[in-house]
Amino acid sequence: MLVIVVGLPVAALGYHLHLFPDRSGVRTIDIVAAAPERGGFQPDVIRVAAGEKVRLRFSVPDVTHGIALGPGLGIDLGQIDPGQVEEIELVFAEPGRYAYYCNTWCSPNHWRMRGVIEVYDPANPSRLVSDSRPDPVTGALAEQGIDIDAPHPASVIPAAAKPSATRGEAFSTRAETPLPPEFDDASWRRGHSPAEAHTLLNRELPALSEEEAWDIIAFHWLRDLTPERREWATEQYAKNCAACHGEAGTGTGPGVDALRQQGLGRHGEEDETTAINDPQTILGGTSNIYYAKIRRGGMGTGMPDFGPVFTEDETWILVDYLWTFQFAE
Amino acid sequence: MRKRLLTLLPPALVALGVLFVPLDMFAATPVTRQFTVQASQFAFDPPTLRVNRGDRVVITLEATDVVHGLYLDEYDVNVRVEPGLSKQIEFVAEKTGKFRYRCSVSCGSLHPFMIGELVVMPNDAFARAVGLTLVAALAALVYLSRFPPGEA
Ligand code: HEC
Ligand SMILES: [Cu+2]
Ligand SMILES: [Cu+2]
Repeated sequence: MLVIVVGLPVAALGYHLHLFPDRSGVRTIDIVAAAPERGGFQPDVIRVAAGEKVRLRFSVPDVTHGIALGPGLGIDLGQIDPGQVEEIELVFAEPGRYAYYCNTWCSPNHWRMRGVIEVYDPANPSRLVSDSRPDPVTGALAEQGIDIDAPHPASVIPAAAKPSATRGEAFSTRAETPLPPEFDDASWRRGHSPAEAHTLLNRELPALSEEEAWDIIAFHWLRDLTPERREWATEQYAKNCAACHGEAGTGTGPGVDALRQQGLGRHGEEDETTAINDPQTILGGTSNIYYAKIRRGGMGTGMPDFGPVFTEDETWILVDYLWTFQFAE
Repeated sequence: MRKRLLTLLPPALVALGVLFVPLDMFAATPVTRQFTVQASQFAFDPPTLRVNRGDRVVITLEATDVVHGLYLDEYDVNVRVEPGLSKQIEFVAEKTGKFRYRCSVSCGSLHPFMIGELVVMPNDAFARAVGLTLVAALAALVYLSRFPPGEA
């Protein structure tokens, strides 16, 4: 009897709180996260006022997904298994466009699993939230007439194992062989391939051995990758890239099989390669090209566009990290 | 006739011993056994892993389509694996028997049927077979030396 008398109101209160959890003025937006062939994110566009506190509640009906928000928000809800619910409360200070996206391979169409958050100005709600501003690097490449989709085979590659940045640093700081000043110019390095850097070294410092030259290049191509940036990139590469490019850059994985089944690949070629550990494929390309490719994606090749997901600086971290498949520490 | 049978009695007893006495010295030296197991909706490939007691078992677990897991209670194994990122499982097979392992991540309608089997064999069958052959050969020698075929 006592149980019923006391228990009933408590239960009712609990039910009430459960039904109306938003007494605090937080708007809850429920988002179903399913693989794209089962509807993807529902809804896949949400509108939020700048300064408004919202609660995003993700539930998963089919298979495990990984939910993250970007660019630059640093929010990763981790993996959500079927039946589980994860939520996050947040406030967007400024108008702009953000994305929620899946970062755990979940289907042959996994990489299409994206949603958009439009943060509007509450003083001017009808003004369109503009897409991100044009990317300066991609624009400059187009102006120079550089096709980021064209193959860029390396004219020269290291003869033996991975060049070593540690040995390269020792050579680079040796006083009697001053390097060409270009090597200390970050924007020159981003605009030139390691193969071009090798040609320059050969011309300016013919006394260097092949191995020494490559070690020096290794050092300069990895020098922006601080331990923190490397750690961030390692995690993001595993979550967003490894399924297609391979844990070790070998270009093998479930993502490659999925693309092949869908008839996607490099420019429609049968044997498209995603092996970003292959010196011949990669050492002839520039950081700028890879930056642009990561942000814009491949036009119909299956390489996703990560521009909506990563900031410009985050993209540079990934580019710098890609050189670790060519060069050892 | 009875004499002949009596001659065969001791070797027969030894043979029984070889067959049934539990002796650890019969165990072959354990080895490391490497497997690559692919988990996909809704099966493990290969479905059965056979090892001997004492072996070190190293499993590289890969998921080919969605997140799966491998849960093997008796050996305290419970790992998740994402497509594209392989996982290493390592343990020493100390318990003999057949153990079922299951997918530990709800991965779709037939997820409950995603089951594999680890078979840990006692590992001395081979040693015992060798022992038996030796005993039989010895018995034959003794028998023939006592009762050469020509004398009958
Ligand atoms: C769904 C599969 C898929 C995923 C996921 C993926 N890629 Fe790609 N990527 C490709 C394919 C296919 C190509 C080759 C076709 C092309 O260049 O457009 C490619 C090409 C590239 C290239 C150009 C290589 C070259 O030789 O020009 C870079 C750089 C790259 N990817 C980086 C990344 C990074 C970094 C990530 C993760 C943030 C990533 N990719 C995720 C499929 C993928
Ligand atoms: Cu997903
Ligand atoms: Cu499963």
